Amino acid sequence: MKVKHLKKWKNELITCTMCGYCKNVCPTFLDIGWDSGSARGRNVLAYGMLTEELEPDEVAALRLYQCTLCLDCLRRCPSKVNVPEIVEAARADIVDAGLATAAQKEMIDTVKQAGNIYGTSETRVPPQEGDITLFLGCQYLERPNQVKVILNVFNKLGIKPKIFEEVCCGVPFRNLGFFEDLEKHKEKFLASLPTRELVTFCPTCTLFLKEEYDLPITHATEIVAEKLSGANPKKLNIRKLDIKATYHDPCHLGRGIEVHEAPRKILEAIGITVKEMPLNKTTTRCCGGGGVMLISDAPLAGMVAKKRIEQAAATGVQELTTSCANCVGTLRTAAQASGESGSRMKVRDIWYWLWQALK
Amino acid sequence: MKPEVIKELNEIFGEDRCKTNPSDVYVYGFDAGIHRSMPDAVVRPMNVQEVQKLVLLANKHKVPIIPRGAGTALCGHSVPIDGGIVVDMQGMNKIKEIKVTDLYCVVEPGVVCDHLNAALKPYKFFIPGPASSEAATLGGMMACNASGAKAAKYGATRDYVLGCEAVLPTGEIVHLGGRCLKNASGYQLDRLLVGSEGTLGVVTEIILKVAPLPAKKAAVVPYFDTLRQAGEVVAKIIAEPILPSQLEIMSQTCIQAVNKATGMCLQECAAILLIELDGHPAAVIDEVKVVRRICEELGALDIDYTEDESRIAELWKGRKQMIPSLSSLKEEYATVMLADDMAVPMSKVPDALEAFQEISDRYDIIIPSYGHAADGNLHTKVLMDPTNPDHWKQAEKAVTEVFEAVLRLGGTITGEHGVGITKAPYLFIERSEAIGALKAIKRALDPNNIMNPHKIQEWEEGFVTHLRYPVEAS
Ligand SMILES: Cc1cc2nc3c(=O)[nH]c(=O)nc-3n(C[C@H](O)[C@H](O)[C@H](O)COP(=O)(O)OP(=O)(O)OC[C@H]3O[C@@H](n4cnc5c(N)ncnc54)[C@H](O)[C@@H]3O)c2cc1C
Ligand code: SF4
Ligand code: SF4
Repeated sequence: MKVKHLKKWKNELITCTMCGYCKNVCPTFLDIGWDSGSARGRNVLAYGMLTEELEPDEVAALRLYQCTLCLDCLRRCPSKVNVPEIVEAARADIVDAGLATAAQKEMIDTVKQAGNIYGTSETRVPPQEGDITLFLGCQYLERPNQVKVILNVFNKLGIKPKIFEEVCCGVPFRNLGFFEDLEKHKEKFLASLPTRELVTFCPTCTLFLKEEYDLPITHATEIVAEKLSGANPKKLNIRKLDIKATYHDPCHLGRGIEVHEAPRKILEAIGITVKEMPLNKTTTRCCGGGGVMLISDAPLAGMVAKKRIEQAAATGVQELTTSCANCVGTLRTAAQASGESGSRMKVRDIWYWLWQALK
Repeated sequence: MKPEVIKELNEIFGEDRCKTNPSDVYVYGFDAGIHRSMPDAVVRPMNVQEVQKLVLLANKHKVPIIPRGAGTALCGHSVPIDGGIVVDMQGMNKIKEIKVTDLYCVVEPGVVCDHLNAALKPYKFFIPGPASSEAATLGGMMACNASGAKAAKYGATRDYVLGCEAVLPTGEIVHLGGRCLKNASGYQLDRLLVGSEGTLGVVTEIILKVAPLPAKKAAVVPYFDTLRQAGEVVAKIIAEPILPSQLEIMSQTCIQAVNKATGMCLQECAAILLIELDGHPAAVIDEVKVVRRICEELGALDIDYTEDESRIAELWKGRKQMIPSLSSLKEEYATVMLADDMAVPMSKVPDALEAFQEISDRYDIIIPSYGHAADGNLHTKVLMDPTNPDHWKQAEKAVTEVFEAVLRLGGTITGEHGVGITKAPYLFIERSEAIGALKAIKRALDPNNIMNPHKIQEWEEGFVTHLRYPVEAS
């Protein structure tokens, strides 16, 4: 089969020296075990498809969709071979070959029809006017209680946020390789924006809005950290929580756009002492739920998450906090499912703790 | 591959640990070298009994089996030239025993070098590894006799293998060497397996000596106007005598590549030495003084110095990722693994580097030089467009000239990476009178020629073949 989307990656695929530095950083390789389930292996599959030596099939599709797009291979690669984008391009060719799964197609259809990943067009959060414009993203909008907590926090900090009728940023189209649909969706998304300057929550949306649309984005933790750093704690009535927790950097926040100090400053300000896992900030380890893995291979996502929970447990604390609704979901499920090592680990969003300190 | 072979493989490994589908199998046709060729199946054994059953099956059906670790070897070592079954040993990755009071540890062959060192660190011990230590397995290191920047002071993998368990090509499980630091009980067959590149058996367990971690490290980084000056400094340090724990030399192209890929700010000049001294703190401080004096006397342009562990680690990380770093140097060129690890007597390092530079200047490809100057092990790579057939013709000529120069200087075509396919043509020159003996050993141990066939002395063609790159028709 002649590929279309991988063509532009020919140079990178040849430049890859096959050094293997991206093997052991790849969270999915550690659980899949086969070289075809590693970052380097995915490059080779893409190379085979590009040179037409390898006819894409269900196994190639599976291996490529088993990537969480965590970006750790790109960080580690001294040749700066962009494996995650190569994987996405390969997925686009897999889609063209008619090998996307029913679940993947269903998600795409949902976003096409409803404008979001959860599939209902009802307004989850009533629009309101304000001074900064929030882009909550589908992952948070899908969890209205969390949005309430976020709004409470903003309210308490004296920030009035504007809320508008959001349309999904379109990242599932790119992650799953539906590139043509993405182009159409982008117009819809851009038309929905009241302004280009957005304050975001979901790390994946944040990275995508910067990269795909070149929008001037600020992650919400940066705004809150700044507010807390300049503020008089007494005036804000911050209750120091006096808790020890580990902080999990979401890949697209800690590594993708390197926002890792802001969440830590917030935690410090509210009295949470962070016990770091050895893999933190830009070297963070994926929760397992990236790259729309939960619909491509949920058991694998669970295995990757379990490893992260074990790393958290090794710090000796029983609280894990993070700044991503998707990470919270994946890690919480793994913590509940895992045995002795992680079952006592509580997984909570940073917004939960902020509200505990401010309410 | 015959259906009955696949059926028997499935009986041994179950469908979960035996793959014959084209996509999973395709990936195992490549390693970090320039060649590739597809296997018919890949299996992942979990214990020695499974390996034994596999070897017996391979003999019965006369099917090649190719042991494989992380697939980071650089000369097509684990490329299955005749197809067959790749034996992925990465699943056998348990550290079975650490006994520092007896100076040894026992590992399965799929343990990654850095993972073992992480486990040894709390005991204040380590084993020296190659630049690929974050990926390479100990089985692969043993089979290639890998060594790295610390070899001059700490030795190569062969100096750490005390013993092993292996399945011989005819299916016997043997235990060679042992847990003692000394062992003179007959032929040192464990030593024969070191460097055998998977052609004489599958290693299933390794007993390794461990070395104490030094109490202090310091790095001296002098910059030079010429490669020769740098070479002279190396000779003088060794003659002192001081044995640095690492002593690396980098030419200008390499300095540029590392700066570009890592954001490190090494000064760009004709040559840099990265000199690491380790040991007792007082001894390190004394040696640093002497090394600095030598560098100054021999005209170093500038000298950087650090005792900061993280800065030292950063320097070595930059050096370790030289191969992939070079690949990002020039857009249309890629690092191609050719003439990659010759060694010459240390005093000949400057002559060798000048010879490589002169050869590089005559061809339309770039040959950057770097290497472990304290043990005479020099690396070059060829930077070229690997899709261009003319570049391959030039590379073939240039590489031949590089090897000829090395042999003229009394060196070897490979100090650490091994022979595989890529260097086999030159092994016939370096070891011409020993080829018969090498072949006789292979025939005696592997009468059916099933164990990683066509490698080392069994490869009798040139190296511009089975290329992994899409070379355009000329
Ligand atoms: C970026 C980079 C830097 C490198 N730097 C160095 C360096 O500094 N020094 C150095 O020496 N090498 C270096 N290498 C080469 C390579 O990493 C080493 O030779 C390494 O030891 C190979 O280990 P592996 O697990 O990848 O083995 P593989 O590549 O999988 O296999 C290598 C050989 O070992 C055999 N083998 C593997 N496992 C077994 C087993 N259990 N039983 C029997 N045979 C087996 C295979 O058949 C094959 O012939 C480098 C490679 C890269 C990509
Ligand atoms: S993608 Fe980069 S790190 Fe991975 S094998 Fe290729 S060159 Fe090495
Ligand atoms: S993005 Fe993450 S999961 Fe995907 S190949 Fe790279 S390291 Fe592996």
